[in-house]
Amino acid sequence: MHCRHPKTTILATGLLAVLAAGHVFAQNVNVAHTTLKTGDMAPDFTLLDNHWNPVRLSDYRGKKNVVLAFYVLAFTEG
Amino acid sequence: MAKLEASNAIVLGISIDSPAANNAFAQKIGVTFPLLSDMNRKVLKQYGILKMYNVQKEEYDWAQRTTFVVDKQGVIRQVEEEASAINPNNAVAVCTKLPKK
Repeated sequence: MHCRHPKTTILATGLLAVLAAGHVFAQNVNVAHTTLKTGDMAPDFTLLDNHWNPVRLSDYRGKKNVVLAFYVLAFTEG
Repeated sequence: MAKLEASNAIVLGISIDSPAANNAFAQKIGVTFPLLSDMNRKVLKQYGILKMYNVQKEEYDWAQRTTFVVDKQGVIRQVEEEASAINPNNAVAVCTKLPKK
């Protein structure tokens, strides 16, 4: 097939490459949404805190309201 | 934070970072609440907020930024995802309305 506008094709390809490059970092492939909703029981768990001590969610039951703040990664704006 | 403490609430930060990294992070940003380490992603899976990211053609799974407010009975009172979870005011407002005892 004869291409009438090779320059246009090259420019378009270049533009697409630039657009694609912008998505290389941290492209979200699979968006996870929690199935938990207001009124559900919060699943219990035990995890190590930043002093290597185990912390259990249910230890706060009857004592404190708890805000669980899940963050992406430490040392980032996430 | 003062408002949260006044409403008898505590904050637990959770990510996939190691306890050592979390401790350095806590010192850097000066947080006083615990930062919990979910290195094997068990809680992220339990809560359904493990999210796949593609970085330089490699796939990684980290937490979706999400905030849950859990009351003293262990019941979820509020769920906020992504951008709205950055602003703590809504979580504070919910905690303030919860019974203190």
